Amino acid sequence: MRRLSCACLAWLLALAATACRRSPETVPASATQEETQELASMIHVADPRASLQLVKGFHEVEQNAWRWTMARFAVTLRAPAGASQKGAVLVLKGAVPDPVIAKLKSVTLTANVEGVPLAAETFSKPGDCTYRRDVPPGAFPAEAVTVNFALDKALAPGEADHRELGIVVTSVGFEAK
Amino acid sequence: MSRALRAAWWLAPAAFFLAFYWLGLRIWFHQDDFAWLNLSLHVHSWRDLAHALFVPRSFGTIRPLSERGFFLAFYALFGLNAVPFRIAVHLTQLANLVLLAWIVRRITHSRLAGFLAPLFWACSSVLAAALAWTSSYNQILCAFFVLLSLWLLIRYGETGRRSYWIAQWVSFLLGFGALEINVVYPVIAAAYTWFWARAHFRKTLWLFVPSGLYGLGHLLVAPKPETGVYAPRLDASMLQALWRYWEMALGPVRLTPVWPEFGPWAPVATAALTAGLVGFLIWQLGHRRWPFVFAFLWFLALLAPFLPFSGHVSDYYLAAPVSGLAVLGAWAVARGWEARGWRRLLALVLAAIYLGVSIPVARTTLRWHFERGRMARTLVYGLARARQLHPSKTILLTGVTTDLFWTAVFDKPYRLLGLTHVYLAPGAEENIEDHPELGDINEFILPAAVALEALEHKQAVVYDAAGDRLRNVTGPYYALARSRWSRSELPRRIDAGNPLFASFLGPEWYPIEAGYRWMPRQATLRLGGPGRTLRLAGFCPQEQVRSGPVHLRVRVDGHTFEPVALRRGNAPFEVALPLPDKLAQAGELRVVLEVDRTFARPEDGRPLGLVFGSIGVR
Repeated sequence: MRRLSCACLAWLLALAATACRRSPETVPASATQEETQELASMIHVADPRASLQLVKGFHEVEQNAWRWTMARFAVTLRAPAGASQKGAVLVLKGAVPDPVIAKLKSVTLTANVEGVPLAAETFSKPGDCTYRRDVPPGAFPAEAVTVNFALDKALAPGEADHRELGIVVTSVGFEAK
Repeated sequence: MSRALRAAWWLAPAAFFLAFYWLGLRIWFHQDDFAWLNLSLHVHSWRDLAHALFVPRSFGTIRPLSERGFFLAFYALFGLNAVPFRIAVHLTQLANLVLLAWIVRRITHSRLAGFLAPLFWACSSVLAAALAWTSSYNQILCAFFVLLSLWLLIRYGETGRRSYWIAQWVSFLLGFGALEINVVYPVIAAAYTWFWARAHFRKTLWLFVPSGLYGLGHLLVAPKPETGVYAPRLDASMLQALWRYWEMALGPVRLTPVWPEFGPWAPVATAALTAGLVGFLIWQLGHRRWPFVFAFLWFLALLAPFLPFSGHVSDYYLAAPVSGLAVLGAWAVARGWEARGWRRLLALVLAAIYLGVSIPVARTTLRWHFERGRMARTLVYGLARARQLHPSKTILLTGVTTDLFWTAVFDKPYRLLGLTHVYLAPGAEENIEDHPELGDINEFILPAAVALEALEHKQAVVYDAAGDRLRNVTGPYYALARSRWSRSELPRRIDAGNPLFASFLGPEWYPIEAGYRWMPRQATLRLGGPGRTLRLAGFCPQEQVRSGPVHLRVRVDGHTFEPVALRRGNAPFEVALPLPDKLAQAGELRVVLEVDRTFARPEDGRPLGLVFGSIGVR
């Protein structure tokens, strides 16, 4: 019994030894980053600064380089200078991975910019892909515009991966004309 | 056994445990931890303390020692410094390992079994799940009381000293403050005396009385969920749950998510470990060595209370029960080792399989919890810094992932640092997976029109939580928001205590006090629609119910609801009123709130009705 009492005492002492309460919570000045940033016209989806502009339909960054999309995904981009007069070029770069083509044979990507539809493109071979379309001036009513993308097919969530998987995207944005 | 060997016998498992779980000491708070820490915000008097400690909450649990008392006391002493919490958890488990080693050596008369049992337990991936999360301290502390009670019972059987018997009762009764599964200790105690100290068997039956009373009291007092994952089900699903727990306790199925290539081998490894333990059972029963049953009973008894909750099979529930399997495994290996030949080889192979699958999972589990804690800490201290830099502005968060939201936003940990007016930026919810069984994400979002107005008038800042620290993205977010939302929309939820919503409230409301607003006898507001239910959340002061319930009458665009009687004073209230079809489709609702009496406090003399926080439609 004496041993038990000693053990209990030792346990309590050990707890008491931790009684090193910090002074009122100290907040490091580096806890936030205050630099100002502007909306970008072209974004690399793996760049943490771009995450704000990924509106929906993107999965987590993989290998610090790219993200899988879902069947529908969207980004908000800054209109390039002069876009409301001359229009711009929408460019999406990425890849159609082997498992997508193996299972779905082909995928068709369409886009619309602020409701203005752009022509579709079908990808039937695995590998790098680029979707490039002219966007008319009327699609740029404001400084920031939202581009909605849609795939006709995507890999459904399954045993191996619980996510809906469309294509892989590395960058998306507008090039000035 | 030489002195050095004896020291090594005791110290090696402890040293291994500390080395193995070193990272565990550095894990910060996450998820439910904040709900328990936030309890301290509601304790202002002895009455509040008693309420916080003993009133059943969270699906009917009452755990004053392991959850509420633990978090309240440690938070009072150490604030948001998680290290002392973690030290307490690990010290308790260290005591558990020492007690287990002693007990196993006593009941098996095998030094090897006594050495291996704590090692097998320490390496278990399910124990790691409980150790890594401070909220599951209840499992660790309950195991402590069960083991301590059993140790005292064994000492009582050996010495006949009454003090051990009394101490066992004290330890057993304290165990009810740790976790409900303490009710099964009498089964373990009775089994022990049946096998090893038959003379005391009848005496141990008295231990069933407190367990029975506790069970009865729990049934009467604690709320019992009828739906959802915490609703108990006494049917065949309990057997499925038992098998899932068995698989998890052995470990191989848990390695697959960590190492997918192991997937096809997981059932094989599970089968091998199961066959090894069942084979050992048959071998022992053949020799009429009944005490072997004790270890198995230990596992089953501690697991049994969890089986009715078959919709919520959780790894950390196994932390205490798996100690029984550790005893079983250690005993089997020790017997195999003594038997030599193929049995020794088999014992070593099975032990290697168990350790080979358990150790990587335990390490990954620790790392996973560490990362969640780090994420939560980054957010909480980032918000604190943002508040220092922008003391009068509302803070909006974007870039919040599903994990971050449910880990570190949902329980509002920032309130512990006195931070209010923190919301998700409109649109942020699109990246967060909905879990209606846990809560409503919408309550955290600042309505778009209000956010836009606040940004325009520089009353809000926006931080992106996607990176290693919060990043001020107010400028680009504002540009984005202007293109997506209109300021003319009415919000569907109003936080009466936030000045950003002032323009939607009528002139009757009193000024904001500490994040809330008092209403006089009558107050009005405007809400956006559509929505099927009007929800009101507020606080009813004690003075209002001194002479009976106060009645809240609600009118929406001419439709008057039945008055709501508020009976509990000094307590928050929530009212949900289903809207008639015509109002449910409306784009704008004019709401009138009225109480049947007011009271005045001597210090200001204003007629006071109720305190309101959030009012909205869903």
